Amino acid sequence: MSLVNLAHVCSHMQNASKARLGLTSIPVSKLHVNLMLGLQREGFLSSVTLGGPTPPKPFVLQEQPDPAALENMAQKLQEQPWHAYSAPENKKSPLGQERVYEVNVPENPARRRLWLGLKYWNNEPVLKNMKLISKPTRRIWLTSEDLSKITRTRESSFVKGLTHPGECMFVTTDRGILEARDCVERRIGGMALCRMW
Amino acid sequence: MSVCRPARCLFSKAPASIAKPSPPSRSFHASAARPVRKRKPHYASIKAEDLKLLNQAAETHFPKYDTSETTLLGKRYTPSQLAAIKAAESAIDARDIVTQGQQRTDPFRLPYEDDMSEMDPVTDHAPKLSAADIPGPITFRRANAAERDAAIAQIASENMAKMWPDGVPEGKLGPKEADHLEETIEAAMFQATLDPRSAFYSKNPAVMEAMADPRHSAVLPDLPRLENRMARQARRMANEEQEDPRQKRLLQYMGWNKRKLSQIRVKTLVVHGVTNQTRMGKIRSMYYLTIAGNQDGLLGVGEGKSVEPEEGRKQSIMAAIRNMKPVPRYENRTIYGSLEKKVGATKVQLFSRPPGFGLRVQHLIFEIARAAGLHDLSAKTPRSRNKMNVIKATWEALTSQKLPDEIARGRGKKLVDVRKVYYGGSVH
Repeated sequence: MSLVNLAHVCSHMQNASKARLGLTSIPVSKLHVNLMLGLQREGFLSSVTLGGPTPPKPFVLQEQPDPAALENMAQKLQEQPWHAYSAPENKKSPLGQERVYEVNVPENPARRRLWLGLKYWNNEPVLKNMKLISKPTRRIWLTSEDLSKITRTRESSFVKGLTHPGECMFVTTDRGILEARDCVERRIGGMALCRMW
Repeated sequence: MSVCRPARCLFSKAPASIAKPSPPSRSFHASAARPVRKRKPHYASIKAEDLKLLNQAAETHFPKYDTSETTLLGKRYTPSQLAAIKAAESAIDARDIVTQGQQRTDPFRLPYEDDMSEMDPVTDHAPKLSAADIPGPITFRRANAAERDAAIAQIASENMAKMWPDGVPEGKLGPKEADHLEETIEAAMFQATLDPRSAFYSKNPAVMEAMADPRHSAVLPDLPRLENRMARQARRMANEEQEDPRQKRLLQYMGWNKRKLSQIRVKTLVVHGVTNQTRMGKIRSMYYLTIAGNQDGLLGVGEGKSVEPEEGRKQSIMAAIRNMKPVPRYENRTIYGSLEKKVGATKVQLFSRPPGFGLRVQHLIFEIARAAGLHDLSAKTPRSRNKMNVIKATWEALTSQKLPDEIARGRGKKLVDVRKVYYGGSVH
């Protein structure tokens, strides 16, 4: 697991948001995918899609369900909310066919790219800064105590606290790649990856 | 110690009473000297002898009501009111009034100092008099023709005497003076006919006096106008205060009045000379950089340059006030998280700090924080410390803060201020 690629991703994301791109792509790896899904969960990214060298069709341009059908579904859910759970197999869902978007993923893994939708708010990128904490030459492992200090804006283990408003930090643990505050909640430590705000 | 010193000096003791006055020493600390800092009691302790004097002073200045005074009060007040007055008098020790009596500081105090027990003919309205104040029988009747003429003649001569305090001019008069004299005579006669003394007659002279006394009048006369030099000058100064056209324009632009403008804290932080090299030679002018803030979350930076120093300074002040922008403050005391801004080669890092931390920042940022109303802050200027750029970078960093609400909206997540939740919203 080289952090060099992650460093490239970080600077690429900063450059893309400075250039006000709506969609950008990064190389695919398990680390990148999990980290980007974490970023999406934290609200930094609008979409994370596996694709080829050409960008997938943006969600907004794809075929949309007509508003009447959406209203119908909402009405049905209000009356029978248990339909929100997925229907058992070989049975038709009462809410209608689930929409699945076709994305062309190349057979050759080397040609696969991870396409990310960037977000902007009030003419400012939502993800403006993204920095590595562990470096390829110096990994930093943090305990849950360290992480609890860091999330409370204090410095610990030579890692600066999360002092910027809304700053996030991702840590790779034996339970997967988690946000620092999640780690504190679950009392697990791990290797610090990167921070973003 | 030297051996040649006489033994007398060695064995004799210095007289204790003659203490050498210590030379005036420089204090080496910014804080006040210890005796100055020592807390004194609010009221000095009083010696027994002084207490005797004090008792005497209290008795002479604030004597107890004697019987004649209480009977007088009894005429004015009901018994229950009298009892209340006595209770109030006994509640306050006269000695306390002598030692602790203070000027009122409440908002309802009079705007001037006055002894309420005395009448001042200048500042106080004369007390109104009623018929009960006239001694003797109050009888009067309509005056007959003879009495009326006599009264008019007397009153007119009184009025003439008032108008001509040096005596009526006699001998040959110029046409102007003669006219003036005639006018005054007419006025005196007219006043005399309007006077109630000419219409009514009473045998009691006190009643006749009461008719002329304005204190008996239903319409209370106005207080005399204060017409002294200071009052006139103050009025003139207020009227003639120079209206700066630039200031007038600024007030129009901001939609403010002068009072609001005077509440803005303005400070010129950078002054230096600049030269423009032309083919005619060097043109020297002065550059000013000023900050302005209302100490409650508004901050502006303005620049001005002119050959005339005063002109440039004013330019910069007006620009600073015009450029004022809101500075978001967390709990009205510090910033939201840490900030960083780079202008030119200058980088300014600002850090939010807990309550009571203070402004531990360099002087320029300190002034800016004061003007903006920030109380807890620390800062670093790790690179160039060019004064102008430090000020600009700080201003830009403070005014372009990203607020948690905005971040939450951008990410579509809910952000909660934990401090506010913990302290139940009663943080400031």
